[in-house]
Amino acid sequence: MAALRANNWRGYLFVAPATLYLALFAFFPMVFAGYMSLHRWHLLKEDHPFVGLANFTTILADPFFRNAIYNTLIYVAFSVPLGVVTSLAVAALVAQRLRGVGVFRTLYYIPAIGSKVAISMVWIWILLPEVGLINASLKWLGGEGTTNFLAEPGWAMAALVAMSLGIGLGPRMIIFLAGIQSVPQTYYEAAALDGCTAWKRFRHVTLPLLAPTTLFVVITTTIASFQLFTEVYMMTRGGPRRTTDVVLYHIYKEAWQKFEVGMASAMSYVLFAMILIVALLQFRIMRRGLGEGATA
Amino acid sequence: MRVVRMRAVRLILGSVAVVSLVGGCADDEQAVTTVLRVANWGGAQVESEFMRLERTIWEEFETTHPGVRVQVEQIPGRGQYAPKLLMMHVAGSVPDVIQLDASSAAVFIDNGVLLDLAPFVERDQKQKEFDLGNYFVKVLDVARRGDAIYTIPLDFTPMVMYYNKKLFDEAGVAYPQPGWSWDDFLETAGKLTVFPEGTRSPTRYGMFFENVMPFWVLWLWTNGGDVLSPDGKRASGYFDGPKSVEALEFLVDLMTKQRVVPHPRESSAAGVDLFRSGRAAMDLKGHWKMIDYGADGMDFGVVGLPTNGVERVTVVYASGLSVARRAKHPELAWGYIKHMTSFGVQVRRVASGLAISGNKAAAAHFAGTPVEDAFLEEVQYARPPWGATVERYPFIEELGREMMEDILYSDGELSVEEALRQTAKLIDAALAEP
Repeated sequence: MAALRANNWRGYLFVAPATLYLALFAFFPMVFAGYMSLHRWHLLKEDHPFVGLANFTTILADPFFRNAIYNTLIYVAFSVPLGVVTSLAVAALVAQRLRGVGVFRTLYYIPAIGSKVAISMVWIWILLPEVGLINASLKWLGGEGTTNFLAEPGWAMAALVAMSLGIGLGPRMIIFLAGIQSVPQTYYEAAALDGCTAWKRFRHVTLPLLAPTTLFVVITTTIASFQLFTEVYMMTRGGPRRTTDVVLYHIYKEAWQKFEVGMASAMSYVLFAMILIVALLQFRIMRRGLGEGATA
Repeated sequence: MRVVRMRAVRLILGSVAVVSLVGGCADDEQAVTTVLRVANWGGAQVESEFMRLERTIWEEFETTHPGVRVQVEQIPGRGQYAPKLLMMHVAGSVPDVIQLDASSAAVFIDNGVLLDLAPFVERDQKQKEFDLGNYFVKVLDVARRGDAIYTIPLDFTPMVMYYNKKLFDEAGVAYPQPGWSWDDFLETAGKLTVFPEGTRSPTRYGMFFENVMPFWVLWLWTNGGDVLSPDGKRASGYFDGPKSVEALEFLVDLMTKQRVVPHPRESSAAGVDLFRSGRAAMDLKGHWKMIDYGADGMDFGVVGLPTNGVERVTVVYASGLSVARRAKHPELAWGYIKHMTSFGVQVRRVASGLAISGNKAAAAHFAGTPVEDAFLEEVQYARPPWGATVERYPFIEELGREMMEDILYSDGELSVEEALRQTAKLIDAALAEP
């Protein structure tokens, strides 16, 4: 025991860099933002009067902030399930032992290595009316091809969701792929002997054993979706008619156009609370699912 | 072991080589003792020839100031320039010289980010080294507060109406003349629009339109309307006043009813600048556009803005140079500003067509062409932009952009009057926040 304890300092040494980094660049800013959120804090003004929870009551009563929350929830509600299902499907496909499957794995991963700004620029072109890839294709198929996706309320959010499927596909697919490949072959063989079809093997062997992986993917995807910003900043600037004004973009405007960093911090805390609650809920629901999966 | 030693030897040799290289440089030139940090918003979009010229100009300053190196920090990007500089100011790492856009000057001036240049000016005027009288008063006044002077003008532009002579000639329409009215404008735009039977939208428009509030705010002004009250404290009664409502209704009708100006839906479908590509005959823009049109070889003219029963009016969008209050080398920064705004430098810098020099002699140097004279004639009618005095104005411009989008994409559901009324309230709220 004594020897073990004597060795501990080495362990602390090993975790020190990561801990320091987190403390300095994550925990301290978080605590400080909490402090700022309780003050009327203009970036350039000298005095920062304490206002208690006034910032929170103001923003929660603000129809534009509530609109931003609503938009964010819509985005999460569509992009997370669709994103998880498509990446699981793609992972199941590229898990097949086929010749040249590596090429597809690489292709599907490529969007993830590009800069989001660059990808947003490409999507602006894809979504252009008349000359964009989608509209030009529609025209070729006999449609009108004049929909300005990023300028029509409704379509803009749909476009952002569609885009998220491509961008997030790679990393999610890789994680699912690793999960699928770690399922012991013997289970499949046993299922095959019992006369299971491919779909049934997937449904009753792969899916339950993949539950922990799915939980991880769902939660990380959810967190990322709540933090949607780059695409909105590059492509829609919250428009048309504020239908893509999501919380993080709203925070950005509050902090960097109005310089009200106290108010922006309060908004950040609301976003933080939203993510926390949703993630905890998912954890609970899926853990129940996990238990079933293990006994099934 | 031997491998390790070999590596060590190589490393040492390598560093010796590097050190001697650095030493060589120091011998050739003067040892750099002072770094003057200069911030501007240039970026990759600036043509390389202009960049080369800028570098030459900086090098000249370095030659006349031995031991000084000019370190230019370019912060490109829509809306990121002011936030980044303000953050640098808060963090205590702000550059010495700040290039300031009049449209977002207030937030810098009124929060103590900049140094009052009046003492430098006074001292150097006594020694006949500097003369404030060399600069356009209109531009200088944009960044003054009482006796305090916060920027020395670099260059500027009034907003004007460009017109494509070829398209006018083809349509047999006379070129617009200074002092023209909105009625003249509407008639002209109508004659220039080509809207063939059976097509859904015109193939050629009278005027181009982009939803950029610094551009379209001029329609309010030329009708006697405005965004804010004269003291800049509220928008109700002004932005939603009858003159402003009438102005924006006129502008929106040009797109939705008269169809002589492209709705953004139509112009974004084309994906290009419709004026530049010859599909619109007029465009309300500033001097900077001459770089593109010149390169295209377009035959264009320039005229003041049409007005509706009021005095001729336009805006002066300007850039100037300021010294940061927290500058490490204020004296040197002031010297740099004198260099950059001098006749010799300005004459070369604005030759690209970028803008009108803030230095009167340099501006006069380019006078004598119809286009340049038309620009210079507008200076007397120019007002400073609201952003020079109202801190939140860039945010207000964002509200304005969103409002215009709301109006245009609601397809008549949201009336101009109602939109202006709602937005005026939002602006009031933004201005009321302490």
